[in-house]
Amino acid sequence: MDGKTTAPRILVFSTEKISDPAIDLAGLLKKHYPPTVYTINVPCSSSIKSKWILHALDKGFDGVFIAADGTDCSFSDTCTERTGELVQRTHALMKEKGIDPAKLKMAAICSVCSEPFVKHMKNFVEALAS
Amino acid sequence: MRNRIGVYICYCGSNISDYVDCEKVKDIAAETTDVILSKTTMFACSDSAQNEMIEDIKNQKLDAIVVASCSPKLHLNTFRNVAQRAGLNQYNYVQVNIREQCSWAHSNTPPQATEKAIKLVKAGIARAKQSQELTPMAIPSTNSVLVVGAGVAGMRAAIELAKMGTEVFIIEREYFVGGRAAQWNELFTTNETGREVVSRLYNTIMEANNITLFTGADIDSKTGSVGNFDVKLRIRPRHVKPDCKLDWGKFKKAVEVCPVEFDDPFNFGLTKQKAIYKNFPSEFPEIPTIDVEHCTKCGKCVDICDKIDLDQKEEMLNINVGAVLLTTGSSPYEPKTGEFGYKEIENVVTLQQLKRLIELNEYDLIFKGKKIKNIAYVYCVGSRQVDGENKYCSRYCCTSAIHTAIMVKEKYKTINNFHFTRGIRTYGKQEALYHKASKQGDIFLQSFEDSPTEVYKENGHTVVKIKDILTADKELEVNTDLVVLVTGMIPRKNDSINNILKVPIGRDKFYNEIHPKLRPVETVIDGVLIAGACQAPLNITESVKSSLSAAVKVNSLISKGKIELEPTLAQIDKLLCNWCDKCADVCPYSAIVKEVKNGKMFAVVHEANCKGCGMCLPVCPSNAIQLIGYTDIEIESMIEALID
Amino acid sequence: MVESKEYDVLVIGGGIAGEEAALNLANIGYKVILVEKDLSIGGKMIHLSKVFPTLDCGACITTPKVSETARHPNIEIFTFSEVQDIEKHAENDFSATLIENPRYVTDDCTGCQICEEKCPVVVEDQYQWNLVGRKAVYVPFSIANPRIAVIDIENCSLCGLCEKVCPANAIDFSQVEKKSTIKIRSIIIATGFELFDPLLIPRYGYGKFKNVVTSMQMERQLVPTRPFNNVLRPMDGKMPDNIAYVLCAGSRDETVGNPICSQVCCMYSVKQAQLLMGALPMADVTIYYINIRAFGKGFCEFFQQAKGMGIEFIKGKAGLIKEKENGNLIILYEDIQQGNVKEAEHDLVVLSVGMLPNTDFTEIFKNSRVEQDLYNYVNKVDELCCPAKTNIDGVFVAGTSTGPLDIPDSILSAGAASAEAAGYLNGGVK
Repeated sequence: MDGKTTAPRILVFSTEKISDPAIDLAGLLKKHYPPTVYTINVPCSSSIKSKWILHALDKGFDGVFIAADGTDCSFSDTCTERTGELVQRTHALMKEKGIDPAKLKMAAICSVCSEPFVKHMKNFVEALAS
Repeated sequence: MRNRIGVYICYCGSNISDYVDCEKVKDIAAETTDVILSKTTMFACSDSAQNEMIEDIKNQKLDAIVVASCSPKLHLNTFRNVAQRAGLNQYNYVQVNIREQCSWAHSNTPPQATEKAIKLVKAGIARAKQSQELTPMAIPSTNSVLVVGAGVAGMRAAIELAKMGTEVFIIEREYFVGGRAAQWNELFTTNETGREVVSRLYNTIMEANNITLFTGADIDSKTGSVGNFDVKLRIRPRHVKPDCKLDWGKFKKAVEVCPVEFDDPFNFGLTKQKAIYKNFPSEFPEIPTIDVEHCTKCGKCVDICDKIDLDQKEEMLNINVGAVLLTTGSSPYEPKTGEFGYKEIENVVTLQQLKRLIELNEYDLIFKGKKIKNIAYVYCVGSRQVDGENKYCSRYCCTSAIHTAIMVKEKYKTINNFHFTRGIRTYGKQEALYHKASKQGDIFLQSFEDSPTEVYKENGHTVVKIKDILTADKELEVNTDLVVLVTGMIPRKNDSINNILKVPIGRDKFYNEIHPKLRPVETVIDGVLIAGACQAPLNITESVKSSLSAAVKVNSLISKGKIELEPTLAQIDKLLCNWCDKCADVCPYSAIVKEVKNGKMFAVVHEANCKGCGMCLPVCPSNAIQLIGYTDIEIESMIEALID
Repeated sequence: MVESKEYDVLVIGGGIAGEEAALNLANIGYKVILVEKDLSIGGKMIHLSKVFPTLDCGACITTPKVSETARHPNIEIFTFSEVQDIEKHAENDFSATLIENPRYVTDDCTGCQICEEKCPVVVEDQYQWNLVGRKAVYVPFSIANPRIAVIDIENCSLCGLCEKVCPANAIDFSQVEKKSTIKIRSIIIATGFELFDPLLIPRYGYGKFKNVVTSMQMERQLVPTRPFNNVLRPMDGKMPDNIAYVLCAGSRDETVGNPICSQVCCMYSVKQAQLLMGALPMADVTIYYINIRAFGKGFCEFFQQAKGMGIEFIKGKAGLIKEKENGNLIILYEDIQQGNVKEAEHDLVVLSVGMLPNTDFTEIFKNSRVEQDLYNYVNKVDELCCPAKTNIDGVFVAGTSTGPLDIPDSILSAGAASAEAAGYLNGGVK
């Protein structure tokens, strides 16, 4: 990222028990990802409101990434489905507002998926930059 | 709104300060509105730093604090305690992760790490400003536990839990207890047999009046959460009645008449077994069983013993427990066909098969009609794989192979043992066995990492070839009449348990603990603990240590009648709600119900059922639901601080 | 006659195993007395840098346990104290003498270290493994618990300066040893291990050649609270660029009376080597080994990671170490892979010293004796089923008092001891 302040800024919604530990693990293993990635954690990825995502994009974030619980969710096996639905709803809202839906991405990040997380971040930043 | 906030930036020795300019972060935090004091500290978690915070909170009348240090997974509770001890509500404390998610993740770009840390701290301050005083909920817990797997680890945990006063249900998928240990003869370090250990434990379980054992049992489903799990057990029929007083002679006759014969899994296919069986006389429970998969229900055994009941039905049983302890153990790695000649060359067996062979052969070691003179042990089969998936060391196999080789020598005297190793790992006191094996004349060879040992057939002989490190990389070939593959451990196949309990599984496919040092037997699922070889390859003593550790954790978790939980609950604004049932529909815990007051319908959260997942939040069309601790204003003010 | 204080459990030793055992029992509700011989709890672990295989810092894991132990309402801690004359009267009925050594500093001490600044006496600092000096009045180390000063009376010149400058008036030269009797129902021995003394292997030149150090001395140079803020070799303060590790220094070696494997040295050396690659990116690190015992969860992967970083592993045991005039060292070793004796030059040699039993536990009982095993660790009478049980009912053993163990295994061993003690206290199977 060689010091450019223009690098795309990404807000990650992580989940306390599943994906946030993976993001921690990435740090522990010194697997680097762009420092313009910021994380807010929530109990479960199915709890993220469209309102929050739109607020982030509105305030200046270039992209929002949902690091979803996937099938590992300890709350419910419907988590993936629900998270998918909220992403769909938000994509629709983004279109209405004329925001490129590509600015919201979701992927399941398991509690040890530090490698995939780093890859997702690098790809997302690259995609947003271009 | 909180307006007297204290901020602490931790150096973490140098873990943070090597990459993040902590002083700069502190200075910028100090300039933020409502921040009364901002400090750096070498170790925020040290007692002296904690005491300093307490003094600050009291002297400066702080109404919220922010500590920017490591992951909240490590120290959230530490600092919540600090807040409490200073008379501050623990939920007015905010932890900011500037180590795992900042200094370490961005150690390659320190200036940017500092920038990020500043924003993270500002977001933390924003959150602290919006933080509310909350009281943790206490939920009742039953002082009973379900132990899954009656191997040595499970039985041992059950006994200690019972001694501590916790009621135990222990289930075993097989029809006999003891797990892997029942299959082994003499065990290393004490030379007690696996069977003796198992019978000792079984008898203690039978003596205890607060342990209930079910064999042939699985978990069918689970609802509820820590302190209060409702578990439905499926108990498969044994087809032999419990009051069976069948004597061994009568049983043998029943076995004789059984027309079904198949490979005996207890002896790893070395022998055949009948559909009615018991693996050895003193196996527990002492009642035989019928393998329904193979049984043809011909009824011949029923003619001999009227206690056999081929019509027994599966039973379901509901139990209520405060916690679940998984001690499901491991299986030996099953080599692929052709792996070191396995299943292709007739005299290649696994270490587990050799152990059974030793027990089945009293005077000479005979395999497939041939008296064995030279045994080649090939190490690390299924472990430390260069190409395969199993990168891990299986820990117990070096010692187990050496211990078996010593038994072979002691029992059959004239057999020569050749060990084709990848470096012997008899750690600790087990080194003495390695020493003993060397002294008794065993030959130890070691292959190069890039040139593995080979097993092949040549002129009718089975040959093991190695490029040996220990003899200055000479190529050596040994003609052998038995090749023993020293196979490692893999976790038992537990698909249904994994689906029901959702315990995280690590890269090595074993269950994953939260932290190997801080919380070595707990999982991320509250109230579900793991112990023994389902967690990592371990020998018996090590499995027992881990299962006893789990026992003491379970007891302290559920024995007090209540468990304190996070007050993270969904709250519904009655005025905004127009009851559309979407939230009730998605709630996995049936925690949302309809209420009618003065003709208006609205949703209400049943607090005891709500687990705070927040699944209901995004589905509400009128944004009437807020999750405590994750309210719109908290999340949005954090977003604003991060982008500022 | 003063009424003796009563507790459910006496935990002897405040290292990681003792703390874990004490916390487990206190969390159930038992009253615990924790007695530590040293000035601080935290044992050896609190002095370590990052720990294998997860590379989280030792302090980050120890300090929360230390603080939790220190303020647990069910735990009472006595540091710089010992127990003696333990007697068993019946099941669940033991008595012991508690000896509190004088610190010559009262609890009013705030740890401000002004006394330390003024004290004119400098001696070797045992908590930095003698790499640097300390004063005769001193706070043991920065994250010590309790973090209060002590006067090293043997080295003190009794000048009285500390007394004059102490803002809390906490200096008290009149303190004497305090003895009291305690009653307990159960005991956990967690007295830990000693490090092997490399002076016993003269051919390695430790103590004679300045640039031959122990692994603990290297460990101290790698911790956040390290003395030099860098890795330096002792003779001339030069940053080393070619470091050798000699494994099995005092382990697997019958000639020094320790035939067993110490179980941790391979992994901590691999870990230190990785940290050195970070601290001194230009340095070469070579590890001379017999076997690399990377057996635990995540260890093998950690070892592979080290190989990937470029750390050199040579299968061969060092026979002799010689010193050159410039302080560099020549290691004579048998290269087993190539089958010949070779020489290699290094500018710093680290001896990966092993574990030996701390046999203090043999002296503390009055009319009975805790049995020792072949290697002088506490004997486990039922190792497979009750891994914490000793020959005396009601007395359990935790951590490295049972034999060499790494940190995760010590913690599990402590878990086992606390479980067995809890079962014993509650009266066994009913």
